[in-house]
Parts: sequence; C-alpha cells; structure tokens
Amino acid sequence: MMWLLVAQLVVMLPLMFFLPIWILPVLLFSAGWRMRVMQGHQEQPKKVLKTIIAGIGIIGLFASGMPMVSLDMMASLLMLGFAYKALEVIEKRDAMVVILTGFLLIGLLFIYSQSILVALYGAFALTILTAALIAIQHDKGAAVSAKPILENLKLSSLMLLLCLPLMLLFFIFAPRFTPLWTLPFSGEGHAKTGISDSMTPGDIANLSQSDALAFTVKFMGEKPNQNQLYWRGLVMQHFDGKTWTQFSDSLSLEASRKKLRTREQFIRNRLVKKGYGREYEVIYEKTARPWLFALTPVVNVKGDAVYGTDYTLMARSNILEPKMLTLTSYPEALRDTTLDEKTRQRALQLPKGGNPQTRALAKRLLAKATSKQDYVNTVMNRFKQQEYYYTLRPALLGDTNTIDEFLINNKKGFCAHYAGSFVFMMRAVGIPARVVTGYQGGKWNKQGQFLSVHQYDAHAWTEVWFKDKGWLRFDPTAMVAPNRIEQSLEHAVGEAGGFLEDQIFSMEKYSWLSELKDKMDSAQYAWRRFVIGYDRDSQSALIKKFFGEQSLQKIAMIVGGFFIAIITLWSLLLRLGQNNQRESEEHQLYRKFCHRLEKHGVSKKLSQSPTVFSQYAASQLPSLANDIIAFTQYYSQLCYNPSEPKNKKENIKVLKRLFNNIKRK
Amino acid sequence: MSQPKASQNGWFNWMKDRFPESKQITLNIRRIFVIPTKVSLGLLVTLGVLFLMAINFQNSLIYALTFWLLALIVISIFFTYRNLAGVTIKAIQSHACFAGEKAVFEIEVRCPENQKKSAISLGWKDQDVAQVNLQNHHTVRIKLSHDTKKRGLFKPDKISIFTVYPVGLVVAWSYAMLDMESIIYPKPLLQDTAENQQSKSDDAEAGKEIARGSTDFSGIREYQAGDSPKHIHWGAYAKTGKAYTKTFVDYANQELWLDWDSLAITGIELKLSHLSAKILQYHQEQQVYGLKIPGKTIPPATGEAHKTMCLTALALYGQAS
Repeated sequence: MMWLLVAQLVVMLPLMFFLPIWILPVLLFSAGWRMRVMQGHQEQPKKVLKTIIAGIGIIGLFASGMPMVSLDMMASLLMLGFAYKALEVIEKRDAMVVILTGFLLIGLLFIYSQSILVALYGAFALTILTAALIAIQHDKGAAVSAKPILENLKLSSLMLLLCLPLMLLFFIFAPRFTPLWTLPFSGEGHAKTGISDSMTPGDIANLSQSDALAFTVKFMGEKPNQNQLYWRGLVMQHFDGKTWTQFSDSLSLEASRKKLRTREQFIRNRLVKKGYGREYEVIYEKTARPWLFALTPVVNVKGDAVYGTDYTLMARSNILEPKMLTLTSYPEALRDTTLDEKTRQRALQLPKGGNPQTRALAKRLLAKATSKQDYVNTVMNRFKQQEYYYTLRPALLGDTNTIDEFLINNKKGFCAHYAGSFVFMMRAVGIPARVVTGYQGGKWNKQGQFLSVHQYDAHAWTEVWFKDKGWLRFDPTAMVAPNRIEQSLEHAVGEAGGFLEDQIFSMEKYSWLSELKDKMDSAQYAWRRFVIGYDRDSQSALIKKFFGEQSLQKIAMIVGGFFIAIITLWSLLLRLGQNNQRESEEHQLYRKFCHRLEKHGVSKKLSQSPTVFSQYAASQLPSLANDIIAFTQYYSQLCYNPSEPKNKKENIKVLKRLFNNIKRK
Repeated sequence: MSQPKASQNGWFNWMKDRFPESKQITLNIRRIFVIPTKVSLGLLVTLGVLFLMAINFQNSLIYALTFWLLALIVISIFFTYRNLAGVTIKAIQSHACFAGEKAVFEIEVRCPENQKKSAISLGWKDQDVAQVNLQNHHTVRIKLSHDTKKRGLFKPDKISIFTVYPVGLVVAWSYAMLDMESIIYPKPLLQDTAENQQSKSDDAEAGKEIARGSTDFSGIREYQAGDSPKHIHWGAYAKTGKAYTKTFVDYANQELWLDWDSLAITGIELKLSHLSAKILQYHQEQQVYGLKIPGKTIPPATGEAHKTMCLTALALYGQAS
C-alpha cells in the first residue's frame, strides 16, 4: 500500500500549482496517519474523526472563494476526496478506486497545462500509477513476498512503452468530435494573461516584464519586414480622461465579444482589396480571453474564429487551450473608404473638458497646417523633434489632465502614452482616430523558420481615417524609438534598462542561453503545432497527405493493418510463441488413435500402458487386432527409442497409414 | 438412458481434447482463455469520462492519455496471457481424510527456467485458493485442500488456474484435469453405547479361553503345588484354613473382531461410521483387531498400515474399485 501513497503524492503535486495549496497538507496528514496505521502505531481513524476532517475540507473549499460551479471547484473536490482516500485505503477495491481517480487527475492536470514538461510529468505519473496497479495484484499472503519496487517500475514502463504505437494509432485515427456542450466553468480559474480590453498607460509596460509566449506564426510565403509586423488585436474607441476602452460602458468579456461580433460578409463589403495576400498559420497560447491577433485586414480564416467589427478577429469562446488558425491577410487593402456616422462619432469621442494645453496645442498646429495630412505629419514629427523619451518606467501622471502632463511637461513615456496622446490630438481637431493594441514584431527562430511573439512584444499604436484612403496606421512610438519597431524592445530600451528587469532569471538576458532557448522554442513549436494542435482539421489534412482521399473503407483497412502489425510486434517482443510448441506428431496421432478406439467401445485407462492397452483392445476388436498391435509397436518405438530424424519421418508415415487403416474399418 | 445430443457431445470432446486428464498438464494457447475483469470495466468508465473531457476541452493530451490507457487494456491481454503460458501443473500426491474433513492434494507448479511467473492462483471453485510466484524458484509445491462430504473415492473437479497479473485488467484462466484422487474414510461416529459394550463382550466371547491365563479372573480351586503365591485366595484361606488358588484365563489371542454382521445397527453408512470410529479407538488403544465386512475380511493386526487398510476397505465398501 506504500505504492499507493507515493502514487497519490506524485499525482497531486503538480495540481498544487493550480489549486488551493492547503489541499496538500490534507494529503500529507492523511498519508502520515496511514503510514502510522501501517506501522501499527495508530488505529484506523474513527468514523467521527473522518467526518470531521471531511467537513473541515468542504468548509475550506467554500471559504476559498472559488465560484461554486467551476472547474477549479470540481478539481479541488476531486483532489480532496482523493487525499482523504489515503485515510481509509484498506481493501484492494479501495486501492483500485484511488488508482482510477489518479488517472482522472492526470487528465485534469492537462486541462491546466499542456506544455512538454507537464506532458512528461503526466507520463511519469502514469508510470507510477501503473506500477501501483501492479503492486496491488499480489496477495499479502502470497508464497513469495511482493516484488521489489524497481521491478514493478520496470514492468510498468515496459508495458506503457509497448503501448505507445497503439496509442499513437488511436491518437491519429480516432475520430475527433466538436464539444458536446458548452462548459459552465469555462475561463474561471484561468489567470487572464496578455493584452486586456482596456488600456491605461502602464498596462502594457507591465506586460513588457513578461517573457511568456503570446503566439507563434509560420508564414506560408516570405516573412514580411519586421516593421510591418503589426499584430492587431483590439480597437480602443472610448477615452474617459485616463483609460482607453472599447466601449463607453464597461462590459464583461462575453458581452463585448457579442457586441463586436459580425459576419464575414460585413467585413468584405467595406474592404477594397489591394496588394497581395499573405497566408500564415498562427498558434495562440491560452489567455482566457477571446481576442486574436493578426495582420490586418484578415479576409480568410481556416479554423474556428469569428470576425469583429473594426476588422478584429475573435475566438468563439475564451481561449483555454492553444488554438491554431490559418489566416490570409491583405495588409495593403483599404478599410472603410467611407465612414458611417456612428463610427465617425465613436472615432471623435473625447471627454468634455480637461487637458486644455493639449487642445490648445492641437488648434495651434492645425491652424499652421496646410492640410489634414500635413497636420498629422506635424504631430508625428513633433515626437521626433522634441525631447521625448521612450521608457518602460514612466512617471505617474496623476488622475486629471494626464495627456497634458505627458505631452507638454513630462515627455517620458511608453507606447501607450504616445498612442493615447496622438489620438487625443487628432480627435481634438475633429479627425477620426482610434487607439489599437496588439503586438509588434516578434522573434524569428531561424532553426524552426517561425516567429514567436512574446508578451513583451505588446504594443499600442493608432489608426487615423482619411477620406478615400480609409483607416491608416500611425505609430508615434516609431518616431521616438525607431529601434522598438525595427528591431525589438530589447534594443529600444538599450542600457536604460527596464527590459525584463523583474525577472531574476530570464534567458533573454544571456546570449548563449538565448541560443539554447531558440532550440527549445523550436521543440515547443513543433509540440504545439503537431501534438496539442492536432485536431479534426489537421487529422483530415494528415490522412489526405499520406493516404490520399479519405474513405471509411480505406481508413478501416489502414487502421486494421497497423493494428495487426502492432499485435505481431508485441507477440514477437514478448516471445509469446515460446510456450506453444505443439505436441509432437506421434503423440497427436496416438491421441486420435485412442479416441477412435473409444468410438468402438474400447477405452484406455490411464494406468494402462500402451502395450497393455493394445493387447486388451486387440482382444476386444479382433478385426482391427493386427493394425492396433502394429500401430502401438511403432508408437512405442518412436517414444522410447528415439531414432534418427530420417527414420522418424518414415515411422510417422507408417503410423499415419496404420491409423488410416483403422479409421477406414 | 438417452444419448447425449451431438452438440453436447461435441463440447465434451472439445473440452476433453483441450484438457485431457493426466498427471500433469502444461498451459498453452490452446488451453488459456483471457477475459476482462470488473476492474477493466471500471477503467472503461473512467476512460469515458476522460474522453468527454478531451472532447469538451479539445485537449490533445487528454486524448493521448485516454488512448494510452485503452492501449494498456489491450496489451494487458498479452502480458497476462504470458504470465500463465508455459506453467505446468503436476499432481504429486493426495492425502486421505475422513468425510467432512478437508482432503489435501499436493500439487507441483513449475515454469520453464528462463521465465518468471507472478501471482498465479490455483484452486477449485468455492474452495481454498492458493497463490504462487515462480521467480527465484521455478518449481513450487503447494497443498490444496478440498471439502469432502461423502466417504469413498474422491476425485476432485478440474482445478482452475488463473492470474490477473500484472495489471488486473484481464484474467487469463485455464483448467487442469489432474488425474488424482483421494480416499475419503467414513466419518467416525460411535452408535449407541450399550450396543457398543455388547459388541465388545461379543467380541471377547468369540475368542477361545486359554486356561491358566493370568488376565481375567474365572474362579477358584484347591491349591496345587506350583501355583503362584500371588494367586492364592487369602480371604478363603482365612475362613476355611485351606489354601485355594484363584484361576485366571487369557483369551485365545486377545484379538478383537469388528464384524459387520454382528452389528445391530441399521443403515450401511451408520455401520461404516461406527466401524470407522471403532478402528480409530482400537488403534489408539494399540489393540489387535480384525475387520469383517461383506466381501472383505482383514485378519487381525495392528499398526498404521493396518489401520489405513481397514479404513480404506470401509471407504470403498460397495463401490467398484
């Protein structure tokens, strides 16, 4: 039973990262008690005690503040039960329940994370659980004491290893279904990461401290220039004097997703296609949010996604598993060559009053400008000409007149400051403009020929509307810190510091480690692309690629063929044939001979030797007497005087002939 | 008697062909059956839950886990089969017992030298089951016991040999029809005590008296020269002043006969039970006794072998040998 405790600990440990940590002491307490019982120091816990402990656990769960109907709650409940089971595992039956629950918990772990490391840990936990399953098959009172630990582990590893080909066969060919029902607990308990649906200067600066992966991109054609890689996510229309949001009222993720959602046709109608399309494959990491990031505008989506107004792209629900899409964008296409009134109003919204200096500046600059276009350029250039600084550690700007504070006085800021104040300057003189958030650039992995975009690539820029040209992208940050756009944040910040400074140990800081990380990233990418991202579409694509057009018959044949091959392989590896040497021919014949005589009413007793029996049989069946005696003589000779192999063949032939004689009569 | 139907006959032959009765049998693919256990049903339910989780969360790793465990069920068929294949069961000896006690059969279980077998269970249905491991020792002898009810020649049913090792998901299982039998003596049961004494005196009277014995007092006579002073009847001498000598007799050979016909007990089994008890009693008292039952007479003797012979005769009474 020691095995079970170890298995339980192994299964529960990783889940501790995702669930209330106090469940671990519960397990340790239960396990400790169990150990003492096994050593005979303590009695089985009484029923009352067990009830009290269970009660405390359940109260603890309610007190933890997790939503009642949530994945976390269910997982915690299962874990708690699993931990308590250690208190009362006595019978083999209980042990089986523990092990089966252990399998479920490994599955649960995969819901929280699907990284390579977690997958490896899952395989390890599975090995331990299987070893525990083996360990409990021995009766306690067995003649020889249970096998040592190492042998159980070896056997369970061997079994699981041999299972791999069959598992792969199932994995590749088993039909994949779409979710049967929407999950009541989707999103809850998952930390939201990445770009949020509002922008307060400082938000994105926080993201710059994270080297977590946001998404990876594989281009079908050539990779566009680094300074063209604007991964557009959300459009911020509303400004309240401090924070930019999508809508004037704050909405839940679900509500804003519904509000934004539109049909593909709606987007196409407002688009003037220009230039050429770029096709690329993106794998988004989980964010617990629905936003997707792409080169705008996207005109074709392969995979599960919906269009938003403002040319955004969203998932149908919050992204809880890595998600793969194949997108086609036309970066040079014109968007909204005419602007409807509602959109115009939204693109001109400003809070009443506030920031008087900025408003005055805007009016002054517009008066000097020859055209709208000229005004926009003036404002852009002003960021370059004046003493503006790009920093990840901007000063706090207070609560009122934040734009004035930054634009006129402080002049040190991050992309969000520049984008926000730029749009303010536009709207202040009646030019439709909006803030866009997303990611810019990304890190090219030469080895894997893919681009990884990290959280520190988060960026904010703007779009300004011109008649007949539609929405055009302007990035004021590029004026201040061209490095940020041409190369990366790392270069832009340079020695000023601030890049990933909160991370004590980040691989991005060391070049040799960076190289190693490139390799690891490649592996991660392949993992995401081919394992985690393996879904219905990839399944049909793969089958098509290797086996041509799909048909049920064909797939059945392929699977059947592989199955037989695997079984044959197993039989060979396990040497299953070794115990099946057939009975040698003469014995078979003799058995048939006895069987035959039995039909004539003469049966051989076990105690009778063949010779004695033949005499008896001959006396009972005179018509067969000669054959019976001869047959027995040859048989005895074969059994007791093993002769040359050549002779043996001859003798067996004779035996067969004699047997046929008897049969005929 | 009606002839057994062809299909029954076929099944019987099929079984007989696969499980011939013999002193030893080696389990191979012809003789081993593999079927799933309740545990694997439990695992299948668990897999169902995991599969639903995989579908609803679109989680590849849970799919992989589900299929891995499914493959484990499939491969356990092979491993469990392998754990039983090549095992040889051999009848060594059987021990006689009294009806109602447990008959003990000694059986050898062995496997080829280059293989290891674990947790193999042997036993009859509803009887004790023993578990053996063949790891460091490739030959193990075990004693299996079987309840008995009736006296006579007891031939146990086929032995089930099964194993769920290594993972308990399937059971590999086979039969061995071992050629062995045990003699079950009638249950020792003394009938009515008076009858008992009567039969004892009957037994005694059946013998011839030998005069001038020294055991049993038979009377007194006048003293003759040479009589042992120990035998002088001193009481009579005091009364009469004449010396008398007590006389004793020994029975012809102190032989006791257990005679079927002299028993006033109705019922064959009761008679046999009574005789069985008497044999045990006389054996205990180290008496010399003989046994007479219809069709068989065992001359008086003593000792373990004699006891066994007598009890065996009782056990097999009325049964074709």
